[in-house]
Amino acid sequence: MAAQPLDLLQGTLDVLVLRTLAWGSMHGYAVSRWIHQRTDGVLEIEDAPLYKALHRLERAGYVAAEWGLSENNRRARYYSLTAAGRRQLKAEETAWRQYAAAVFKVLEPA
Amino acid sequence: MSHHRKLFRLPWRTSRQIDRDVDEELRFHLDMRVEALIAAGIAPEAARAQALKEFGDLDDARRYIEAVDHDIEAAQRRSDIMRDLWQDIGYAFRKLRASPAFTLAAIATLALGIGANTAIFSVVNSVLLRPMPFPQPDHLVRVVFTQQGHPDASTPMDLVDNRTRAANFVGFSAIESATANLVRENADAERVQGVRVNANYFDLLRARPVAGRFFLRGEDQNGAQNVAIIAEALWKRDFGGSASVIGKTVRINAAPFTIVGVVADAQRYPAAAELWLPKRFTAQELNDGSRGARWLGLLARVKDDVPVSVASAEVTRISEAMEKQFPEVFRERRARVASLQEFLTGDVRKPLFIMLGAVAFVLLIACANVANLMLVRATAREGELAIRTALGAGRGRLVRQLVTESVILSLIGGAMGVAVAKLGMMEMLSRAPASLPLIATASIDGTTLGVTALIALVTGIVFGVLPATQVRRGDLATALRAGARGARSRPAAHRAKRIIVVTEVALAVTLLTGAGLLLHSFRRLLSVDPGFRPEGTLSLKLALPGRTYDSTATRNFIRAMEERVRSLPGVTNVGIANFIPLDGASYGFTFTIRGRPAIRPSDQPSTEVRQVSPDYFAAIGMPVLRGRGVSNADQPGTTKVLVINQSFAKRFFPTENPVGQAIALGWGEDTTGDLREIVGVVGDVRGSALSDAPEPTVYVPIMQAPYSNLSIVARTNRDPASLTAPLRAVVRDLDHEIPIYSVQTMETRVASSVGRERFYAMLLATFAGVALLLSAVGLYGVIAYAVSQRTHELGVRVALGATSDHISRMVIGDGLALTAAGVVIGALGSWFAGKLVGSLLFEVNAFDPVTVIGVIAVLGGVAALASWLPARRAARVDPLIAMRGD
Repeated sequence: MAAQPLDLLQGTLDVLVLRTLAWGSMHGYAVSRWIHQRTDGVLEIEDAPLYKALHRLERAGYVAAEWGLSENNRRARYYSLTAAGRRQLKAEETAWRQYAAAVFKVLEPA
Repeated sequence: MSHHRKLFRLPWRTSRQIDRDVDEELRFHLDMRVEALIAAGIAPEAARAQALKEFGDLDDARRYIEAVDHDIEAAQRRSDIMRDLWQDIGYAFRKLRASPAFTLAAIATLALGIGANTAIFSVVNSVLLRPMPFPQPDHLVRVVFTQQGHPDASTPMDLVDNRTRAANFVGFSAIESATANLVRENADAERVQGVRVNANYFDLLRARPVAGRFFLRGEDQNGAQNVAIIAEALWKRDFGGSASVIGKTVRINAAPFTIVGVVADAQRYPAAAELWLPKRFTAQELNDGSRGARWLGLLARVKDDVPVSVASAEVTRISEAMEKQFPEVFRERRARVASLQEFLTGDVRKPLFIMLGAVAFVLLIACANVANLMLVRATAREGELAIRTALGAGRGRLVRQLVTESVILSLIGGAMGVAVAKLGMMEMLSRAPASLPLIATASIDGTTLGVTALIALVTGIVFGVLPATQVRRGDLATALRAGARGARSRPAAHRAKRIIVVTEVALAVTLLTGAGLLLHSFRRLLSVDPGFRPEGTLSLKLALPGRTYDSTATRNFIRAMEERVRSLPGVTNVGIANFIPLDGASYGFTFTIRGRPAIRPSDQPSTEVRQVSPDYFAAIGMPVLRGRGVSNADQPGTTKVLVINQSFAKRFFPTENPVGQAIALGWGEDTTGDLREIVGVVGDVRGSALSDAPEPTVYVPIMQAPYSNLSIVARTNRDPASLTAPLRAVVRDLDHEIPIYSVQTMETRVASSVGRERFYAMLLATFAGVALLLSAVGLYGVIAYAVSQRTHELGVRVALGATSDHISRMVIGDGLALTAAGVVIGALGSWFAGKLVGSLLFEVNAFDPVTVIGVIAVLGGVAALASWLPARRAARVDPLIAMRGD
């Protein structure tokens, strides 16, 4: 990992996963690809922390998991947002926007 | 959590399944990535390497995910169980509400069973189990003696022996009962229960004073200042709980005493005492010559680090050594230590445990009834259970459902049982005789409630599991087919019900026998001739303080008392004696008969001694059988005489005429004895209790041997209770510092002397009655159920020509057969019951045929009635309806 572009802030991955799943139920591989494409590879996210986050969110009750069939007919674990997950996403999103706005205010030349 | 799981529950995953799932998920990801990279034109080897690189630390992720998934699974299980439980509880409540008759019957039965247990257990707990309110209570003991196996008291020299020789004790103190006349300024004299103890007494107890202090070292020595310690209750009653009581001087037995401390009511020992005075021994008492006269009690504390058994062995060794040293006064006299509880409750222990056993039986019968009800219901619900099984409910789930129902039932029953116990205890305490120590302190506390809850829970589980075993998957189809009709008798289920009823009857027989024996014994006791005529007499007690009453003053008091009471209107006779029948007093001395060979002191016979006034025999109603009674002529200067009772005459003068003989009483300081001529023989009276055979007793003229404790018996031709006020006035007039106490008609004394026996008999009879009722209900239930199951068969029989007589005989016969089986098994239980209550019986054999026949008759009658009701229904079966109903 020679050119790590940006370090991932604590909890950021959780928000990204929740946001991704807001589009609908998908398996871990799909979540991984989706985030990759959306961030244009800027956030070079490894898959290990991603899967950890998925299961952690399941334990917290924000996502539900269920075995289903993938597009190529293989057994895959599908994740979807729960009602609690949706509320959590909204809260985190708001927090993130406020945080980012504050950081920008500092960075903007006066 | 997941909304999927709410619809239908996913099966629980094992640890291995979780790990396999994690593996599969990760493999899927890697495979997908590798495929995508190959499709993008990368060589398979390189594609795989890149996928792994993109993934990061695979092993760490796997471990982490597995741990998280285990957490998720555990939480899922917990919530599933809780949801099932709530579901079960909700379902159970709906089911119970749907059949109110069943529910009420079960709850009432359980409330009776559990309530009776709670009430008796709370008494046992407070009397026998709750520790004494002192630090290290198990090391606080009484030193008790037996001589030739009989209980024996201690002497001041026993105290000295143990204090000088024993190494395993913190200390010893004497306890001597010292009921006292307490006189305060501007108040009536009061009779107060008290004890005299050594100065270290409260140090041994490790009690703390509520106010003031306890005794100081040396305050029990002759010449020390007179100090007294009072109980909190007396402090509040007589001194308004004021701190100024410390240092106040009161007159106790006509001597001034300074109050120095107050004992908390919770720490009173003995519990009845309200006054503690220092015990001082005279030089004469602390002398080897005084080892014969025994009246003291001994309290001791074993050292904290010494086992009580070791300490007990030590006092036993000391008593053996003392016997070797003084063989002429001791004969197989042994000491041991007894816990305060054992000492206090020795003779209550056994009856209480018998009562506890009795209520346990009542509970068993109650449980048997509920089990029967549950079985009947389980049979009726086979259809429902079969449908639930068909819909996928596991056997475990169904069992849990049934157990939940029965636990709910028994918990409600338990809660109602506490209410029943409260009522029962109020009733019981109001009827408990005063002679039962500590019963009054019984209360329902945390321990009791805990035990009740436990009983209820165990009961519920046991009797939920039993019918649940009847739930079988095998005959699902038959159950479903029969489901429309609901009930469907299965031989196994029916057999279980019959076995339960036989058990119930057996338990009831056992209880009834125990109760019957006690009742029979009580009736015998009431029919005992006390040897005197209690009707029309009032009695009271008083004590003359030795300080102001020497023997002359005592004689004058007695004469004046006699004269004044005799002149009261309606009084026909007045007798004065030191002790009267049934007051529990024992006042015995050894004696020798003039002209017979000398016997060494430890082998001399002893006799009870009473000092009485001339009119005493007439006043209490004792017949003079030979010679004369005590007369007015028997005065200090005249010939020393005494009157003996019939038992004395029979035992010691079986062939001779006792009148004219003489005996020397071993009392007083005269070692050769007090020689007195026998002038008459009177009838026997029951001295200490109606159940105790009369003891040899001699009556000495009270003028020749005045005594400070006096009982006055007045016979009247009016209502004896109306004499109370005039008698009180006479005493106050003679000496206002002398309180009178224990004012009772002799009839009341007779009644309260059998208070314990009445109480035990009443209690056991109540339990037996409940047991009889419950088992009758159980029997009725089973027979009625059998009849309803056999409607079809009975219809066929009627159609084939059976008369209704025949049918009802058949049904009643069935009930009586069950009863007979129960009686036979119960006979064995009765044998045990007889053995257990044997020692409580009076003139009734433990295997008393009258009782046994009575029990069988009562049970047979009740059983016949319980089966007759369903038999009547059976006899009215209309064959057409019965057979169409199939």
